[in-house]
This record gives sequence, C-alpha cells and structure tokens, in this order.
Amino acid sequence: MNARQRHEARSAYAMLLPSLIGVIGFLLLPVLIVVALSFMRWNLISAPEWVGLENYAYILTSGRFGNSLLVTALFVLLAIPISIGMGLLLAIAINRGLPGTSWLRVLYVLPWVCAPLALGVVWKWIFDPTNGALNAIIGRRVEWLTDPDLALPAVVFVQVWSTVGYISLFFLAGLQQIPRAVYEAAMLDGAGGVRTLVSITLPLLRPTMFFVTVTSVISSFQVFDSIYAMTGGGPAFRTDVIAARIYDEAFVGLRLGRAAAMAVVLFVVLVGVTLVQQRYFQRRITYDMS
Amino acid sequence: MTETTRSHTRPVRPGAPSWRASRVFANALTYAFLIAGGLLMLGPFVFSVMTSLKTPKQFNTTWPLTLPEPVTVENFTALFSEQYNFVVPIAVTAQVVLVLVLGQMLTSILAAYAFAQLDFPGRDALFWVYLSTLMIPAVVTIIPLYSMMTTLGLKNSFAGLVVPFLFGSPYAIFLLRENFRSTPSDVLDAAKIDGAGVLRRLWQVMVPMNKPILATLLLITVVSQWNNFMWPLIIAPAPEWNVITVATAALQTQYNGNWTLVMAATTIALAPLVILFLVFQKQITSSLGVTGVR
Repeated sequence: MNARQRHEARSAYAMLLPSLIGVIGFLLLPVLIVVALSFMRWNLISAPEWVGLENYAYILTSGRFGNSLLVTALFVLLAIPISIGMGLLLAIAINRGLPGTSWLRVLYVLPWVCAPLALGVVWKWIFDPTNGALNAIIGRRVEWLTDPDLALPAVVFVQVWSTVGYISLFFLAGLQQIPRAVYEAAMLDGAGGVRTLVSITLPLLRPTMFFVTVTSVISSFQVFDSIYAMTGGGPAFRTDVIAARIYDEAFVGLRLGRAAAMAVVLFVVLVGVTLVQQRYFQRRITYDMS
Repeated sequence: MTETTRSHTRPVRPGAPSWRASRVFANALTYAFLIAGGLLMLGPFVFSVMTSLKTPKQFNTTWPLTLPEPVTVENFTALFSEQYNFVVPIAVTAQVVLVLVLGQMLTSILAAYAFAQLDFPGRDALFWVYLSTLMIPAVVTIIPLYSMMTTLGLKNSFAGLVVPFLFGSPYAIFLLRENFRSTPSDVLDAAKIDGAGVLRRLWQVMVPMNKPILATLLLITVVSQWNNFMWPLIIAPAPEWNVITVATAALQTQYNGNWTLVMAATTIALAPLVILFLVFQKQITSSLGVTGVR
C-alpha cells in the first residue's frame, strides 16, 4: 500500500464513520439487545431479570400471541392477493393509454404518500356507525369496526385502498418493458385477450411480481398505524396484528421481555417468508427481455 | 417510467366485423373501472375536508355528506387555540423532518461515495453488513431503541425523536451507491488530475451530476419522516413533544365523536404531503420504479 492508497483508505473510513455509528449503534446493537431482552423479565421499573426461555414458552402457549399470528396471517393472505390483483388490473387499464386516463395514476398513488395514521383516523370516521359517511351512503346502520366479523375485512379494505395505486405503478413500469412485437406475434397466432394475459403478460411480469410480493408481504406483516387508529386491535382481538400486540405488551402492559420475544419470533418469520418467496420465484422460469 | 401513455393499439384485422364493437365495449369498461377507482380514492379526502369545514351542530343535524353550508373554519381556529395548541406538533414535526432529512442525506451521501468510488480494505465485507441490515424490521428494533434512549434520559426530548435515525439509512446508501457507481469516471478522473481532493470531487462533481436521485431521496425522506408514528408515539408521548401524527391520534381518542374537530386535525396532517405530492408528482411516481420501497 503506497502513501496515496493509505490516504484514500483513511478518507473512506472517515466518510463512513457517521453511517457506521448508525448501522452498529442503532441497527445491529438493537438486534442483540432485543434477543437478550427476550430472555429477561423487565417492567421498565425494576432491573431486568434473567428468566431463560420463559417468555418464549409463555407467548407460544398463552394463545394471545398465537391469535396475533393468525390475525396477521389472515390480514396478509387477504390484503396481498387482492391488492396485487387490483393493482395489476389498474395497470393494464391505464396501459391501454385511453385519452385522459394517465393523470388518474396520480389519484391512485395519493394514499401512499399520506400518513397511515391520519388515513386510519379518516376511515374510522367513514366507518362510524351513527355519523359515518359509509352508513350515510348505504342508508343502514352497520357496525363496521366493532362487529367481530366485519372488523378484519374492513381494515383489510383500507390496506388495499391505500396500497393498490402504489403497486399498480410497478406493474405499469413492468408492462411498458414488454416489447410490442411479442403481442403482435400472439395476435397473428390468434391468441385472445385472456390467453395473451395468461401466456405472455403474467410470465413476463414475473420479476415485477416477485419484487411487489416480497415488499408488500414484509410491510403488511408490520402493519400498525392504521390498525391503531381504526380498532386498536379490537373487537375481541380480531384485528390484533403482531405489531399491535408487541406495542400493547411492551408499552401498555409493561412486559418488555415478552414483547421482545414476540419481536424475535416476528423477525424469524419475516426472514423465513422472504427466503421461501425467493426460492419459489427462482424455481419458475424467468424470461430475458433484453 | 417515462412513456406512460403509450397505447397498445391493435393492428386492424380485416374480416372481423365484431372487432369495432368489442373494442368500444372494452374502452367503455376501462373508463368505467378507472373512473370508479378514482372516485373511491378521492372520496375519503373530499369527505373529510368537507366535514372539517362544518360546525359540530351542522354536522350532527344534517346528512353526513351534505356540503358545508355555511363554510366555517372554526374547527381549525379551535385547533390552534390554547386548548388544543396544534402549533406545537406542527413545529415539532417540522423540526424533526428538517434535522432528519439533513442528517440522513449528509451521512448517506458520504457513505455511498466511499463505497462507490474509493478503494479500502474490507470494503465489500462492510457493504455486505450494511445490506444485511435492510432485513431488520422496524418493529423489532423499537423495544431496544426505547430501552437505549430512556437509559440515556432522552424520553420526551427532541434528541429522543431524532438520534436513532440521524446517522443515515442503509437503504439510502444502497440506492445512492448504485447511482454513484454508474457516474462516468472520466469527469472524476479529470478533477483528480486537477488536484481536487476526495471531498471536492464529491461536492463539486458527484453531487451535481446526481441531482435527480438526490431529489427523489429527499422527497422520500420527507414523506416517511412526516408520516412516522410508532417511534414518536413511544419515545415522546408528552404533549409538548408530540409530532403531528401522535397529536392527531391523541385528539381522536380524547374527543371521540367530535368528528368535525378530528377531521380538521387529519386535514392538517395530510395537507402538506398531498400538496407536496401534487407539485412533485412526476418526480415521485417516476422514481418509484427505481427506488422500490420508501
């Protein structure tokens, strides 16, 4: 290493220093701490006390956390296919390029830039049984957010509403990369609309589909703000998603050890889901469009 | 996503009499779908603003979707009165956004440049560590960050709100590194031969050449910080340190059913970003394809 190289390396380390504080101090260290806390009992007041696997044993047997895993799985399994299906449909509709439709894109993406908490509060009013907009429109009283059977579908609807436009943008970008010649060839072979969609559009959109699915799954597993505003996890824990359970356990119940164990389980689940999705999409054929 | 309105007009097929009719039908269906979707998207925004412009009496005695008659701003003046004091959360949020945008942009630019253009031992291994932290969900770090910040005595303080997120984001670093790597090196080499140091090359060559991606990153950071809720809720629950989302949630819990006031609060929380989005919509929507998640 000559003097110039040493100088360059020194500059590089100096430039990396601030971000290294962030990565080590506020990302890697917290992961170590959360794992350590998951083996402890701690109520914020007295000193943390080592309890071994007690927290894990408790959360995996008590039922409340199992309920949250189930609710979150239902939420993800309902919200993701609907918003991806609708997003794809929107993208195909916009991609037809009819006059006056391209600006509508802006409208569909609008909820995505807005605070999920504030949108959740707006929807809580819309769903309000006595003074809400929705019951005023349909002309009858429905307890959208307090009926145990309707609450989860209602919060899923809001999730779809706020993500569908954002998802459609990715599909639109994907659609515009498919060469026109491919469609023209299919047309000459006499393929109809549905056939073209299934045999050409969907396979060629696979990379987009992978990206959108992975990022949507990861973010829906962590949904919190809109649920906090609309139901707070109720009624009867029917919308008590994992993030809401962790928040409640840690900062309302002051059982930080248990909450930390839940966070560790969530982390493991998310890493697992990501790896499984990666394998699934890699196994399928991918097309080179360059 | 530059060419958004490219049409897929089908080649005319002679000898297909039903072709024109089915095409008209498909177009009508597309319009109906897109317009219905647009109304569904816009509805909640329009209805909530309408409600915020009514008096509580008017709201309670008329059908919820009638137009405000007369239009009143009393809900907004009430929010800014001493009783609700919404000036505080707006000021706190603005400061948090400003500090975090400056901090994140600065540290991310520095780190991305080092990874993209400089040579040093351990570079690839270190970058791999940075990348792997993208897998860490925010919900997982919330409890340890809370314990760290409270141990440092930073609960209910400005520092508590910003310190954990001040030192750059691996995501921004990753994004900028990709762009800095593809910047043509002959310009940088020319500056190097002219005797420009590392920092001069960064600020006078690299940054000006990458303005679009930096602008995009700036917008994304503003959006995500303005909308942030969970961390401020936990670390700064005291009213004097409430950000706008936390203040809105608190108002809704405390004055449940007082919808005209609550909708005024959500209007204040949403309006700045809606305006920002409408002004920079081209930049934001066209950047999504490049940037992926926020």
